[in-house]
Amino acid sequence: MNQFPTSATQPAPTVAAAEAVIQLTGIEKVYQTKTIETVALNQVNLSIQRGEFVSVMGPSGCGKSTLLSIMGLLDEPTSGTVAIDGRSVTSYSDRELANLRNHKIGFVFQSYHLINDLSVLDNVELPLLYRSGVSGKERRQRALAALDTVGLSARTRHFPSQLSGGQRQRVAIARALAGRPEIILADEPTGNLDSVMGEEIMDLLLTLNRQQGATIVMVTHDEQQALKTERIIRFFDGSQVN
Amino acid sequence: MIRHLITLMWNRKRANGLLIVEIFLAFVVLFSVGSVGVYTWRNYQTPLGFDYQDVWEIDLNPGTQPRAEQFGTLQRILQRLRSTPGIVSVSRSVSNTPFAFSENSTTLDTGEGTPQGYGDVYDADAELPEVMGLRIVAGRWFDRRDDAVSRRPPVVITELMQRALFPDGQSAIGKTVRASLGKPEEFQVIGVSGPYRAGGELSEPRPGFFLYVSPQDTARAMQVLLVRVRPGAGAALEKRITNDVRAINASWEMGVNPLPTQRLAQLKVNLAPPVILGMVCIFLIVNVALGLFGVLWLNISRRRGEIGVRRAMGATAGNISLQVLGEILVLTTFGLGLGLLVAAQFPLLGVMGVQTGVYLTAMLLAAGLLYLLATVCALYPSRLAAGIQPAVALREE
Repeated sequence: MNQFPTSATQPAPTVAAAEAVIQLTGIEKVYQTKTIETVALNQVNLSIQRGEFVSVMGPSGCGKSTLLSIMGLLDEPTSGTVAIDGRSVTSYSDRELANLRNHKIGFVFQSYHLINDLSVLDNVELPLLYRSGVSGKERRQRALAALDTVGLSARTRHFPSQLSGGQRQRVAIARALAGRPEIILADEPTGNLDSVMGEEIMDLLLTLNRQQGATIVMVTHDEQQALKTERIIRFFDGSQVN
Repeated sequence: MIRHLITLMWNRKRANGLLIVEIFLAFVVLFSVGSVGVYTWRNYQTPLGFDYQDVWEIDLNPGTQPRAEQFGTLQRILQRLRSTPGIVSVSRSVSNTPFAFSENSTTLDTGEGTPQGYGDVYDADAELPEVMGLRIVAGRWFDRRDDAVSRRPPVVITELMQRALFPDGQSAIGKTVRASLGKPEEFQVIGVSGPYRAGGELSEPRPGFFLYVSPQDTARAMQVLLVRVRPGAGAALEKRITNDVRAINASWEMGVNPLPTQRLAQLKVNLAPPVILGMVCIFLIVNVALGLFGVLWLNISRRRGEIGVRRAMGATAGNISLQVLGEILVLTTFGLGLGLLVAAQFPLLGVMGVQTGVYLTAMLLAAGLLYLLATVCALYPSRLAAGIQPAVALREE
């Protein structure tokens, strides 16, 4: 296992930036209310290489999830630049950002975020619904293939409420995979699972990384699981620490 | 995407059951009121068949004058009116004059087992077409040739009556028809007229026929006259007519009612039920709209996490907006589907004898109005949904 800790003050290496699938430069995120200003992220410079499996660790409220939202183009930084595949997305429109999320990024959440009124198969098809040029038949085939990858081929007609936590998270991973993204962003994917199921999910993510070359950024509180990844990035009070 | 929306809404049919029922009931009410409205509007658009402008109805009451003397008095009144400047023509009539809330109807046929025509029967003299601007489309109107007593008295039927009695399209002129006017009687058709809808604009166009009142008839058409006056004639002429009638016989009472005034009075009465129904309908629509709006708003609040996920999966703000709009349209379609099943029974069973086109138009109107209502109600919530920040929504969840 390799670890490449980065410093909050260390500028992103330019050579790596050219090869980086995600490049964050000088990212700051400040939440402003009438009475209080909260700095969630402070001068974050981070480069995620293609095919890496990186874990992000830190205490609650240190900005891990905010970082993942910014990486996933779900949130805008107060300042700084996000680049995907070497291209800054700062000036991208809502449509372009949505397109990029749809094609490049798959999300896995701690609380699964499955739509309870849709079957497993329909849930997994969801990212492909927002992709033009994909026929219904192809959508179904790709969703079935993704469910096969996570070992849930027999549960396609079930609804999320009929599944265990581990199975739900595997459905969520299948949904992330269905769009064949280059990047998977996982926000505490084992946080709601017991240790056995957590191990199952972790093994699945490792397999995806090693066999399919998926770039994975995983937020976790679990040191043991983090140690299985190639690199651990630690955060404290919104800043990267070694 | 449409299949996705239908699947989602179908799976949520229990949760949305009340909303579907509300839309169904709203459709049934709108369809019912719409049917009345379309029926009324269609009738209103159909030509009356006569010109009521500058026509007055004069109601006469002989009072205590002996019956044997009444005909002579009437003849003198008619002579005086015909010679009065400002009066163009005068016709004897009975109580079912235009806009009079009075009707006289019966059935005509051409023999046993033949098609029947049920419609209005009017007593008319030779002057009626001139007074009322009635159009003759075939044959002729009554004239002196009809004064002679005949075994088969003359009759003029309307086009609708001709179509009812002779559906194969043959001419009615010269044909014998039978009417049940107390006892079965035979008449000979001498002419076919255009429509004559004395019931007014809102009445259903239906067949009719005219029976001849000769100048010597002392039994019928004794108490009502229809008078065409020159354009602009007013109170002065009315006063003169009143004075003339009193001068002929002071015991006779009379009243002058311009047909345009009678028409307006009749319209007010006949429009009252549709207007009341319309107001109830508007109240219902407002309630349905508030219900839809509230439910949609609540749904958006409850589904922030789902909206966040959809955004994460690649949905644009526009996609979310369309999703909300699409969902309510699908729900509306479910409710309408049930409503259409009920509404379709009306034309299929021929309820109330109303034309199928009326029901079909009412269905289209009710469905269109509900789709429009659903769209308008969904606009603001859909914009709210589109504005939800995905990161915030996912964090809240």
